Amino acid sequence: MSSATRPATVRERVAESDRSVGRLLLVAAGALFWGWLAVSWVNRWLGGVLVPVGQPLVPPAAVEATLAGVPGLAAYAADAAFVVEMTPDLARGTWLTVVITGVSLGLGFVIAVPLAVTRVYGRFSSWVSLAYTELLRGTPLLAQLFVLYYGLNLASYVPGAVSGVFARDVVWVAILGFTLNGAAYQAEYIRGALESVEEGQITAGRAIGLSKLETIYHVVLPQGLRYAIPSWTNEFVYLIKYSSLAGFITVPELYYRADQIAAETFRYTLIFLVTGAMYLALVLTASKLMVRVEDRVAIPGLGAGSEE
Amino acid sequence: MSDDDFLRVTDVSKWYGEEQVLHDVSFEMDRGDVTVLIGPSGSGKSTMLRCVNRLAEAQEGSILLDGEEVLSPDLDVDELRREVGMVFQGFNLFAHLTAVGNVALGPRRVLGLSETEARERAEDQLERVGLGEQFDSYPAELSGGQQQRVGIARALAMEPKLMLFDEPTSALDPELIGEVLEVMHGLVDEGMTMLVVTHEMSFARAVADEVVFLDDGRVVERGPPEQLFERPEEERTGRFLERIASHD
Repeated sequence: MSSATRPATVRERVAESDRSVGRLLLVAAGALFWGWLAVSWVNRWLGGVLVPVGQPLVPPAAVEATLAGVPGLAAYAADAAFVVEMTPDLARGTWLTVVITGVSLGLGFVIAVPLAVTRVYGRFSSWVSLAYTELLRGTPLLAQLFVLYYGLNLASYVPGAVSGVFARDVVWVAILGFTLNGAAYQAEYIRGALESVEEGQITAGRAIGLSKLETIYHVVLPQGLRYAIPSWTNEFVYLIKYSSLAGFITVPELYYRADQIAAETFRYTLIFLVTGAMYLALVLTASKLMVRVEDRVAIPGLGAGSEE
Repeated sequence: MSDDDFLRVTDVSKWYGEEQVLHDVSFEMDRGDVTVLIGPSGSGKSTMLRCVNRLAEAQEGSILLDGEEVLSPDLDVDELRREVGMVFQGFNLFAHLTAVGNVALGPRRVLGLSETEARERAEDQLERVGLGEQFDSYPAELSGGQQQRVGIARALAMEPKLMLFDEPTSALDPELIGEVLEVMHGLVDEGMTMLVVTHEMSFARAVADEVVFLDDGRVVERGPPEQLFERPEEERTGRFLERIASHD
C-alpha cells in the first residue's frame, strides 16, 4: 500500500516545487512591471528627477549594446532597444488605463449595489433597475461612449478645476461611460449573489425587529458581496481590457498610445505584443488581488471560501 | 376568559389565495403561561405562530397582545417584533456572524446599545444557554443543537415579553434534541411566556399549561396536557396522539 502511494507523493512534491518556481517567476515579473511603472510615474510627476521627462529609464543604446554582445540575443538587440524607446509613452498610457479602470470600477460599484438591491427587493424600482441594466448591457459600449462624447459633448462641460489632475477633460467622459456601463454588469453579478443568501436569515432579521432595509444592510449584503467576489472579478478583468475603447474618444490610455506609435512606425506586431503583455500583467494583478481579498474576508462555512 | 389575558387570539382566519389555512382559531394565555400548539403537518400551527409576530398576515380576527391589537394596520410591526422573540426550525442564524455577532445584532442595531453593551449582553445570553465557550464560533462551526441555542439566545437578547418557538427541535438529530429542550425547560422555570409549536409530546406534557390541537386550520380541542393526552374528547385528537406515540 505505502509503496504504491509513494510515486504519487513524489509527483505531488515535484508539482508543488514547480508551482512555487512558477509563483516566484510570476512575483518577480510583477515586481519588475509595477516597479518600472511606479518609478516612471514618479519621475514624471516630479518633473524628471531621475531621467528627463519622456526619456526611458535606461538608455536604449545601452540596451542594444549589451544585448548585441550576448550570443543568441544579438538578433533581437535592435527590437529590444525599440521597445525600451517607447516605454515612457506606454507608462503614461498605462497610468490612464489604471486610473480609468480603478475609478470606474469603484464608482460603478457604488451604483451597482443599490441597483442590485432594488432589482431583488424592490417593487416598482425593480423595473427601473431592470430597464437600466438591460439598456446598458444591451447596447454596444463604444456606442455609449460616442453618445457621451460626440452626441452630448460632455467633455465641454467638465469644469477646468478638475482637468489636468489626471489628464485631459475627456478622461472624465470615459470614466462616466465605463461607470454607467460597468454598474449594469456589476449589478447583475451582485444580484445573483444576493439571491443566494438564505431567505430564512432575512426572516430572522425581520423577526428581531430590523427593518427590511436594515436586514439587507446587516444580513444580506455582507454575505452577498462575499459571494459576488469571484464573478465580480470578471467584471474587473473585462473593464481593464474594455478601457481600451476610451482610445476611440481620444483618451491617451495604453491602447491609444500603442496605436499611435504603431501608426508612426508600422511595427504593429512588436508593439501590440508588448502592449498585450502589459494588459496581461494588469489582468493577472487584478485577479491575484481579488483572490487575496476573497481569502482575507472569508468566513468559515460561507460560500466557496478559499477555493481557487 | 378574562379581560386581562396576556395574549388573546380570537377567531383568526387566514387564506393563501383561495385556500383557507386558518379557520376561526381562538385561544388565550396568561403572562408566564406555556401554550403548546400540536397537530399534523399542514394543520396551520406554524402559520398561526407567525401571525402573532406578523411574519404571516391574518386576514380576519383579532390578536391582542398585552391589550394591543397586533393585527391593526397602524401597528409598528418592527416595534412588535422587538417584544416578541422567535426561534426557527431551521435556526436561521446569520451565517457571516459569530455566535456573539448573531446575538448582539438586535441589541446593537434595533435597541441601539453601544458595541460594548451589546457584546456583553450577547455573552450573558450565550452563557445562559450554555455556550460560554463558543462566543467566537461561526454557525458553520457549531453543531445543530448549539446553533439552535444561539438562535434562542438571539431571541432572548431582545428581552422579549413573549417567545415563539416554531418546531425548534424538528431539524435536529435525536441526540441533540435534549440540549435544546433543556434550555427551554430553563426558560419555563424562569417564568417566560412561551408559545411553542412542537412534536415533542414529553415536553408538552411536562411544561404546558395548555395544549391546543389544530387540524386542518381549526382548533379541534384544547386543554391542560393531562386531560388532552390522557382523555382526549375528540376522536381526531386521539388518533393523532396514537400516530405520534407509535413513532416515539
